[in-house]
Amino acid sequence: MSKLGFAISIAFTYFTIIYLTGLGGLFSERSGIVNIGLEGLMIIGTVTGSFGAYYFGAKLGWGVPAGPLMGLLLGLACGAAFASIHALATVTFKIDHIVSGVVINLVAVGLARFLSTVFFGQATQSDPGQPHLHVISIPLLSSIPAFGRAFQGLSPFVLFPFLVVFPVWWILNRTRWGLRLRSAGENPEATRSLGVAVAPLRWEGVLISGAFAGLAGAFLSVEIVNNWREGQTLGLGFIALAALILSNWNPIRLMGAAFLFGFAQAIPLALRDWPVIRSIPEQFVNMTPYVVTIVVLAGFIGKVRPPAAAGKAYEGTTT
Amino acid sequence: MAITATAPPAAGTGLKTRPEWLESAIGQGLALVLALVIALGLGSIIILLYGENPLDVYGSILRASTTDKDGPAWVLSAATPLIFSALAVSVCFKGGLFNIGVEGQYLVAMVTAAWAALHLGGLLPGPLLMWSVLLFGMLGGMAYAAVPGALKVKTGAHEVVTTIMMNGIAISLVAWALNNSLRYTNAPVGQNVDLRTNIFPANAKVPDLGHLFGYGPAPRLSWLFPLAVFAAAIVWFIVKRMRLGYEARAVGASAGSAQAGGIGIGSVQMKLFLISGALAGLVGMQQILVNNASTSTGGYLPQNYEATLGFTGIAVAFLGQNNPIGIVFAAIFWASLSRGESILPIETDMPREFVIILQGILIMSVVITYTLAKRRLERRQTGRVLAEEEIVAAQSAPALEGTTT
Amino acid sequence: MGDIGRAGREGAPPFVVLEGITKRFPGVVANDDVSLELRPGEVHALIGENGAGKSTLMRILYGMYPADSGRIVIRGEEVRIHSPRDAIARGIGMVHQHFVLVDPFTVAENVILGDEGGAVLQHDESERKVKELADTYGFQIDPHATVEDLSVGEEQRVEILKALYRGVEILILDEPTAVLTPAETSDLFENLRRLRADGKSIVFISHKLDEVLEIADRITVLRRGAVVGETTPAATSKAKLAEMMVGRPVLFRLERPEVEIGEPVLRLEDLTGGRLHGLSLDVRAGEIVGVAGVEGNGQRDLADVVMGLRPLESGRILLDGEDLASRSTAEIRNAGLGFVPEDRHEQGLVLGMTLWENLLLGRQDDPPFVKRGILSLRTIKDLARKLVRLFDVRARSVDVTAGALSGGNQQKLILARELETDPKLLLAAQPTRGLDVGAIEFVWSQILEQKAAGRGVLLISAELDEIYALSDRILTLYEGTITGEYPPSAPAEEVGRGMLGDVAVRGVG
Repeated sequence: MSKLGFAISIAFTYFTIIYLTGLGGLFSERSGIVNIGLEGLMIIGTVTGSFGAYYFGAKLGWGVPAGPLMGLLLGLACGAAFASIHALATVTFKIDHIVSGVVINLVAVGLARFLSTVFFGQATQSDPGQPHLHVISIPLLSSIPAFGRAFQGLSPFVLFPFLVVFPVWWILNRTRWGLRLRSAGENPEATRSLGVAVAPLRWEGVLISGAFAGLAGAFLSVEIVNNWREGQTLGLGFIALAALILSNWNPIRLMGAAFLFGFAQAIPLALRDWPVIRSIPEQFVNMTPYVVTIVVLAGFIGKVRPPAAAGKAYEGTTT
Repeated sequence: MAITATAPPAAGTGLKTRPEWLESAIGQGLALVLALVIALGLGSIIILLYGENPLDVYGSILRASTTDKDGPAWVLSAATPLIFSALAVSVCFKGGLFNIGVEGQYLVAMVTAAWAALHLGGLLPGPLLMWSVLLFGMLGGMAYAAVPGALKVKTGAHEVVTTIMMNGIAISLVAWALNNSLRYTNAPVGQNVDLRTNIFPANAKVPDLGHLFGYGPAPRLSWLFPLAVFAAAIVWFIVKRMRLGYEARAVGASAGSAQAGGIGIGSVQMKLFLISGALAGLVGMQQILVNNASTSTGGYLPQNYEATLGFTGIAVAFLGQNNPIGIVFAAIFWASLSRGESILPIETDMPREFVIILQGILIMSVVITYTLAKRRLERRQTGRVLAEEEIVAAQSAPALEGTTT
Repeated sequence: MGDIGRAGREGAPPFVVLEGITKRFPGVVANDDVSLELRPGEVHALIGENGAGKSTLMRILYGMYPADSGRIVIRGEEVRIHSPRDAIARGIGMVHQHFVLVDPFTVAENVILGDEGGAVLQHDESERKVKELADTYGFQIDPHATVEDLSVGEEQRVEILKALYRGVEILILDEPTAVLTPAETSDLFENLRRLRADGKSIVFISHKLDEVLEIADRITVLRRGAVVGETTPAATSKAKLAEMMVGRPVLFRLERPEVEIGEPVLRLEDLTGGRLHGLSLDVRAGEIVGVAGVEGNGQRDLADVVMGLRPLESGRILLDGEDLASRSTAEIRNAGLGFVPEDRHEQGLVLGMTLWENLLLGRQDDPPFVKRGILSLRTIKDLARKLVRLFDVRARSVDVTAGALSGGNQQKLILARELETDPKLLLAAQPTRGLDVGAIEFVWSQILEQKAAGRGVLLISAELDEIYALSDRILTLYEGTITGEYPPSAPAEEVGRGMLGDVAVRGVG
């Protein structure tokens, strides 16, 4: 059973990445901007986050926790900055959201290599010696027999999603800004006709999506791998998109979807020895998030309803 | 009832204008030039930050793809998969479908093509094997594209999301195939090699074309390039001159009107996905049947295959305005820039990644300027037609009055 | 003409004065030196043909477009209105023709959006306030209901509440009755009278003259962007208003050609599917059968089912004895059905395509135009040029896009395409919706010509005027079934009862 505990602890890690990135997608799409560039935004987060942790933590000697925290912050900020390209293209110039998202993903790969040469003098990985936060074990939970392993040796940052989920829900559903953001994603004409400008709301939604995706990327390179390596995001941005769809764009349901997909990622890594798992090729386990999403989308199980105006350029008169 | 016959001549309304096609061509041309100026301008800023001279850097890139030894051959061979990929994207786009799944389709097609090369190798003589392998690639791409196509037609699942998911699945499928049915069994004993398929028979290879024009073998310019251009011509013909293309454009622009006009939307969309998949199936052939082949062997599919050609195809399709002819030129242009990647670190202090950034800026500015130019053109056309109606109506008003009182 | 009806309420000073408003769009003068006064406690109707500049003028007042020249004076003070937000702040509200509501939000959320009263929402508080407001004006609405569950009439009430919540004194309603049933229209008028009594000033944009005469205190008529006159219901008549709108006398009843009515061409037997429940009717050669009914009683489904655009659960569609049920749309068209859909943009034209491409639609399988899957451009364009000339579609060439045409010309394009094949039966759904008077005449005359040529026409229309003007027989449609059959001499009240479900089949005299 401790294998299962180990699997859950890995699942927590993936969950954190998928959840935060998915949350980013949620803010963007609830404001009406489809964001398939999450993967690219995450990539920028990985390289800048790694640099932040290395530069502040090791080079300037700020140590722990300041170094890793600076890394996470830098990933967040750079994710948001990079997302501004998506906002400029889709909100200001009203070009197709999918095209812009594809370009974001394409450019991110090159930009990450470019930044890596600037930061580390080499294109595909960071310098060693990057600090990370002290790992924690969650009191009580970690002493459960057999399952305790799930709550030991975790990065404290895995608690972050649990800290933000309720505030995010509250902001979306109980504040003026949340109401306006959602209205922009459902019917921007209604928003504008009541004197509320749509473009700033959508800019904010997209920037927040970049911040969350960048933060998730930084968490991956700073806290999990302790290094930047090209290609380390492994398509998690797309899995986050899948989780977002499965959650029906709801921050609370997103937790379940993200954990489900996080666990799927953990299975081949931690449960390889289980007889059932051994008989299934690892690659087929890896496909589960994608397959589940297709099945849901096709309406075979459940039903999802995206924000009505998501993906449509809003052609409000610009007076 | 006489009003049906009182059609005043539309000529002589006093508005002098150019024909629509010319106006739209000029608009697109200007948009392209503007986008180039923006991209090169922003690129220059980056170059200046590096303390280099923009003219030198751009000059190096230009030379690498033109006057340097084998330059054009390198460019054309790199453009080949991009043409197929962008055509695949554009075919679906005509029908209002966004096939983000070219990526996954060509990955799966490389597997089916490799399977055919290895299993039919002993059976088919001469060029028959090559053609069969290409065919199996197309079939693999079609089969994989049929899934999102069928989901779209039968359940309405949005193709953007399903194809993104299918891309994720494709990566795992290739890995699985390389680990199982297509595993490398003929590896030289004791040698530790990367995961890949066995080597194909030599007659699976697409023959070299470059030597006919005096280029060396290194750039790997093969007959696939003319095949890609031919594919572009076929796509152009289908879209502009065939019923399927007409129906596709109608469905893409207004599904409801197309349906009321007797067009079967589902069948059109499915056909588009299949054609798109077939084209996508040829994207990977350059690498497995040409780049990985040698004079005596026919290539193979490695684990570290070149990915993201499907996504790049989307960029190239938009650069080429989703027009088949435009796509050929866009792919060549894109490949020329990419050619600069290898030259930059040698001739300048710029890192090679500068090129990708430049390409990114270019495609963003192109999409923005095209979109703005198109909107402007539509507005002008609408305004002008309304104005003409006013004038025509004013001229014909007295004639109408007589018939109705 | 401008002095006909200064009767209004002379005593009260005007809320709003528009002076010399001029607005140009590329190539078009939408408003040409327009002046207008809005007074408290009046319903001011703004009428004119489509494109006469009514909506543009009100959008300028509502801050959606800037005027090129002219002054806006509110309560004696000249103002500049830059945005709807400005307009609302100055007490001007507008209800658009197409509602702009957020479907998954509640009524209260829709009302408070943009004026939430604080960074944190107080749901109970806002629902209470919205409820109070609705009660003040006698509006029947549940503030907690979700908008997507509301009827069209209720949605309109939400739109009006949105404006009232912001304390507007001037309420602009753009074609408010276009989407309403007669019952909802009378509810709306009831509400408007209460608002008027409360001293609000209401601008009623419309081209339905009967309604304008019923509700308005003053009427301003626009033509080609300019004011052609101002009057009152007492001082004018429907015919006079129509003449002012189009600038010439209009014949509302065209002469019907005398044609011998022949054998049934189309016979619908017991159609069930969608909103249809056992609907049966037939149309004979040389006959125009008008299907009257309040919208939403299955008109759209009837057209869609006959054209094969919606699956049929049971029933038969016989065209000259041949059963077309479960055939594809293409087969149904080939069998001899022509179709003028109720929504030109959604089911008629591909706006982004050229005129010749639109004229090919529906004939893309026909040999002279398409051979072995390849288009014969020359043949197609020759036909297109001929049709454009014949049907007086005003466009410079057949290579312009359909989206660049006016509504009337778009409808002519559809008629040209559908009539060119000499269909045995023409199915015309709401064929004059949104058209100006001149275009309506054209469409009507084309429909009558079909009759003259001995073909059958099934006319589905929500406009009783149109039904009466054209039909040889009138059928009423209610909840998916035919509830009555009337001769065109039957009084409108009787037909109206059929439209509301009173089954009373009368023989045709």
